[in-house]
Amino acid sequence: MQLETLKKVFGENVALDIDAFTINSGDVLGLVGNNGAGKTTLFRLILDLLKPNTGHVTIKTEDAEYITSKCEDWKTFTGAHIDSGFLIDYLTPDEYFSFIAKVNNISKEEMEEQLKRYEDFMSGEVCGQNKLIRNLSAGNQQKVGIIAALLNQPSLLILDEPFNFLDPSSQLAMKYLLEDYNKQTGATILVSSHNLTHTLDICTRVALLEHGKIIKDYSKDNSDMIAEIEQYFEGNVHHETIAAEV
Amino acid sequence: MDFKRFRLIYKLITKNKKLSEKRHPMFERNRFMKIFSYGIIAFMACYLIFFGVMFANIFTDGSKEACDMLNQSIIIFLILDFFIRFGMQETPAQEIKPYKVMPIPMNTLMHIFLFKRGWNLYNVFFMFFFVPFGIMTIATTPYFGVSGFIGYILGIWLLFVLNAYWYLLWRTLVNHHTIYFLVPIFIYAAIIFFGMFADEWLFEGSMNFMRGFIEWNPLCFLAVAVAIALMYVVNLWLQKKLLYYEIAKVEKVKNVKSREMSFLNRYGVIGEYLKLEIKSISRNNVVRKIFVTGVIITLIFCSVTAFTPAYDGGFMRVFICIYCFAVYGIMTLTNVMGVEGNYIDGLMSRKESVLSLLKAKYYFYCFMLLIPTLFMIAPVVTGKYTIYELLGCLFFTPGCVFPFLFILAIFNNTTMNLTQKIQQKTTNSKAQFFVSLGAMLVPMVVMYVLVMSMGSIWGGVVMMTLGLTGVALHHVWLKAIYKQFMIRRYENMSSFRATRNS
Repeated sequence: MQLETLKKVFGENVALDIDAFTINSGDVLGLVGNNGAGKTTLFRLILDLLKPNTGHVTIKTEDAEYITSKCEDWKTFTGAHIDSGFLIDYLTPDEYFSFIAKVNNISKEEMEEQLKRYEDFMSGEVCGQNKLIRNLSAGNQQKVGIIAALLNQPSLLILDEPFNFLDPSSQLAMKYLLEDYNKQTGATILVSSHNLTHTLDICTRVALLEHGKIIKDYSKDNSDMIAEIEQYFEGNVHHETIAAEV
Repeated sequence: MDFKRFRLIYKLITKNKKLSEKRHPMFERNRFMKIFSYGIIAFMACYLIFFGVMFANIFTDGSKEACDMLNQSIIIFLILDFFIRFGMQETPAQEIKPYKVMPIPMNTLMHIFLFKRGWNLYNVFFMFFFVPFGIMTIATTPYFGVSGFIGYILGIWLLFVLNAYWYLLWRTLVNHHTIYFLVPIFIYAAIIFFGMFADEWLFEGSMNFMRGFIEWNPLCFLAVAVAIALMYVVNLWLQKKLLYYEIAKVEKVKNVKSREMSFLNRYGVIGEYLKLEIKSISRNNVVRKIFVTGVIITLIFCSVTAFTPAYDGGFMRVFICIYCFAVYGIMTLTNVMGVEGNYIDGLMSRKESVLSLLKAKYYFYCFMLLIPTLFMIAPVVTGKYTIYELLGCLFFTPGCVFPFLFILAIFNNTTMNLTQKIQQKTTNSKAQFFVSLGAMLVPMVVMYVLVMSMGSIWGGVVMMTLGLTGVALHHVWLKAIYKQFMIRRYENMSSFRATRNS
């Protein structure tokens, strides 16, 4: 995937400004940065849910090249979950999965088999509950969104803050799930998170965003990655000032 | 709490309330409807002034004093006011949420919000009627004079304040349980029946009571003041009682019966979106109410047309025939995509899902035409309409009226809140306004012109032909609408997000 001169401005605020950035096939890319750094904006631009002021996103496969704002074919191999705006909350999770499966031409058997793989992650609180999605806890709604994004076995998976709302066990299950999924399918995974530990554990590459710009692009081979990222976030917190104020 | 601090908090809350109205995403983005709604208010005010003057003139010739004539039926104005308020206000228990954890005593907050209900500009709106009426029938008469007029206006204002608290009480109870919806209907029906039809005490009673205001009878003022105070205390008690219910409010979680609806499986992806449409109606309060209202209105129009001699001739005969078929679509499709705004990101991240959704909606609305078709067989049998007119309307609606209404899918970008018990009044867009007006008027004019110029048989045949052409081309025009939707997608998605949960 290539991002070229991608810029998004809200009023006078530059939410995202990336000259050029390439994400390779099979990468597990973690986006980290403080609030307002532009992580969600970047995901929305990639998914063509926002209009960029300049630039575009190109997805290349073996047979074709797609500019995401120009066609819809890339949607067939993409799975994403950003927030509750992706969920049809008046369906039960089972109905929602069934709906997603049918619109993606996935047979019932195949869907059931897929769901079996995520049983640990769902920890018995999602399927078979006869509850509408809107009546589930925030954590379980998050699980529904993530599983729905995975149902069509996408080769491009985009998850915005997938560890949010999840209990510690589910966060770990989520971590293993993404690692396994990447290993088994070779899919490209884009994850944004404030949870540095999990993000740094699973990602093969980490991009650090600040005020809409990618200020650092680390690969897992970089032994200083963890230390540098931690130092960056430490540097943003003025311990002494806070202590004095308290 | 001292008065100075009470005043400060009152001012701050009033300022916040004004800002929230001014900065509401639906209002901020919609200059046309903002101007239009001010226009409507101005028009209503002029209308009320006109009626005030007209009633004053009409009643002057009566055997009683003109003001007495009107005052006999003052309850009608109060009932009207009650229902106009419908769906307008939040309850204090809802409004108090953001201030709950602030260092402001809860009692103070409750009093502020309740006081604001009484001291509301809306409570003087009907003065556009009563002031001109009062000037002409009270102030200018030597017997009552200006003091009588002032007493009358003050009394009327107190009654409307009382009405505001009565409405608030009911609105709070409805929030708690929808069964309370029926309470004012029963109360008003009982008052009107027993006070105006079974016996006539209400006429005499309200006339004398209102005369008390004009004559500055302290007992009358005292009675209303006591009623307001009582209503205030009851509201205060109830709001306090329901405060924690409102703050921790969650939708009652019921176990949902998952229905497979396998008969729709044969239609593939479209069938899935049809299931979605049906589940949306059955599981979302607001959507269900719109559906039920649409069906009831269709049934009322159809029954009146089918089983009564009403609207037997001329333009009304044509109007009612096409309206029976189109009314459900006009009522519901004007909000097309409003439900989907809740999960627009999910739809837009799947290929052509909005196109499949539009197709499913079209088939659903075509299916709904079965209701008027069945009902309209009766007037065809009795000879009120020819079979050609019936078939003309049956095909003209999906072929020519629906395409107009579906155009709104391009422009509608306000998300509908699906779980509210009462649908909030929303600001409609310019497109919504003109398209629904056009969808209502154009078919009537077309049918009227055709039937009048070519007769009911050939008029019906031409309508049928036009309609069938539209139906046959539905893939083409739906695709065209989808293309336009995609052109405006960024603007629409942004607005859907901004109005979600607002």
